[in-house]
Amino acid sequence: MKRDALKALTNAHAWVGLIISTILFIIFFAGSLSLFREDINSWERDPYFTVGDDVENFSFDAIISQVTQDYNVHTHGYFILQRPTAEQPSSNIYFEEEIVPQGKLDDDQLQGPVEDHIDKHLVLSPDGKILGDGNAFDWGNFLYQLHYNLHIPEVGLYFVGVVTLFFFVALLSGVVIHWRKIISKFFQYRKDGKKDKLLDAHNLIGVMGLPFHVMYAFSGLVFNLLIVYQISYAVALYGGDQAKLFEAAGVVDVHIEETNIAVPVQGIDKLYLTAKESLGEVDITRISIDHFGDESASVTFRGDDKSQFSTRKEVTYHIASGRELYLTKNNYDNDIRGGLAVIASLHFGDFAGYSLRILFFILGIGTCYIILTGNLMWLQKRANLRSEKQNKFGLRLVKAMTTGGFIGTIFATAVGFICARVLPIDMLNRSDVIGQIFFACLALSLITSLFIKAQKQFSAIFLKITAVALAIIPVLDWLMLPQRIVAMFNFGHFDVLIVEAMLLILALCCWLISSKLVIATEPVIEQETNLNELIDNSIVKASVVS
Amino acid sequence: MWSRTFAGLLLGLLISISVVLNLNLLLPIKEDSMLLIGLLCAFPMWAGIQVWAYSFTSSKKAWLKLALVLAPSAVLNALLLVLR
Repeated sequence: MKRDALKALTNAHAWVGLIISTILFIIFFAGSLSLFREDINSWERDPYFTVGDDVENFSFDAIISQVTQDYNVHTHGYFILQRPTAEQPSSNIYFEEEIVPQGKLDDDQLQGPVEDHIDKHLVLSPDGKILGDGNAFDWGNFLYQLHYNLHIPEVGLYFVGVVTLFFFVALLSGVVIHWRKIISKFFQYRKDGKKDKLLDAHNLIGVMGLPFHVMYAFSGLVFNLLIVYQISYAVALYGGDQAKLFEAAGVVDVHIEETNIAVPVQGIDKLYLTAKESLGEVDITRISIDHFGDESASVTFRGDDKSQFSTRKEVTYHIASGRELYLTKNNYDNDIRGGLAVIASLHFGDFAGYSLRILFFILGIGTCYIILTGNLMWLQKRANLRSEKQNKFGLRLVKAMTTGGFIGTIFATAVGFICARVLPIDMLNRSDVIGQIFFACLALSLITSLFIKAQKQFSAIFLKITAVALAIIPVLDWLMLPQRIVAMFNFGHFDVLIVEAMLLILALCCWLISSKLVIATEPVIEQETNLNELIDNSIVKASVVS
Repeated sequence: MWSRTFAGLLLGLLISISVVLNLNLLLPIKEDSMLLIGLLCAFPMWAGIQVWAYSFTSSKKAWLKLALVLAPSAVLNALLLVLR
């Protein structure tokens, strides 16, 4: 490659990296934690609903009968029930509850957009008893949503997609820039040089984690920007008929028109046994019901086929007649369907137990470190420029983005965890309040960083505060819910320990980095002291002379 | 930098769609395999073209070179869709 082109690419690599850095850091940090989303959900929820493993007595019909008795289920909404498993004994039921009965809207309500239903999430015991409201325990899902759409409604998904595209661009340009040294300097880490150390850490983790990074960039793009190619395929190859494209992609639509004849939902246990027979070695974990309570209602049983890698199978029945509407037979090996399932499995790291997720977690946090070193190198380069060439505001902004954005994200997450543990579980809009506290902490960190000049000292102190906040969470767990957590252990559920270990590791990392920063800033403080002494001496001398 | 960014974003997207469409129309492979191959190629191609756009020293060059790649591929698209 020509020298000019390489130089242009190096500048672009730094520029792209800098622009997406804060958002990418949030995406990767939240994504790394989301690898343990189910554990975080259990950490928050299960101490309050400690249950055993009596999965065999689970009855769909009993639960549905209980729910229809207590709630007015919205016919046009979703109804999803997660069956309890040995790993996850408390199951969950999600549906929409009608708050204004259909046909009873007054004139004012009919004129504007009307919210006629609310989302419900109930937690169930393995024997089917309703334990409580699940909407209050959403911290794990909050982090996951932060990872894929930053909680920006409508466009957040695509915005994260574009950021992921530029992450891919930064990866590819990084490989091109580093290509000549990629083998010869593979293990190079010059710990003595300040600039070399950052660059070597950036390259070392970047090259070693390259397959992981490429996989994440690609799979992230597939999840967030697939729509772009979906539209173009549908328009160019199928004359605008999206249904034909879905058919080619192995998606089967078993939608039946509503009849508006009310029929109670019954006989799901019997259909479950039929589904088990039809699906073979599939562990059914999820059922969903369409048109709940209508004569046209259908039920879909879904689960993973453990005998094959990343293969999900399902069967759908018309509830009233028991007629089979669809069975995954010849389309589960459809290349698009199978390919997307493999991409999803790779992204979520759900095919090799905890060991793989721990590896992905380390690599994810490693990526956060790459983003950090990239920003630090840029700052160092700018700081070395002559003062007239420096853009003071730009420099301050990047410093604030790095300190307030990066450490602020970890700090806000720690505060979120603390709130998820200490806020009363019957508090109104509990999950929303935790989310608002998270964003308030992040915003406050960014604003504070903008106004602080001694960024290094601020970072060191802020990291220490964050480390303490992270380390306090396990303490709170054991102070507030010791017996309930022990009861969980007795049933063989260790989600609380897994989350606590993860938080303590993060706390340790923050503390160690902070200690390094303190060591690095000490000579500066000494220098400043000397300068102060010099000024004081001059003042004393001046006063003596006068 | 912004101009090269938009060149890569826009023309990179169009080139990736166009090339993948040509692959779909030319290769005699079953439909679902072809759609997956297209998907696997499209995103890396888009990102690769974006990198290529950044390697030019001027944005004018970037727009021109990328347009030169897009043009024959788009012509082939039109030809294949008409002959289909």
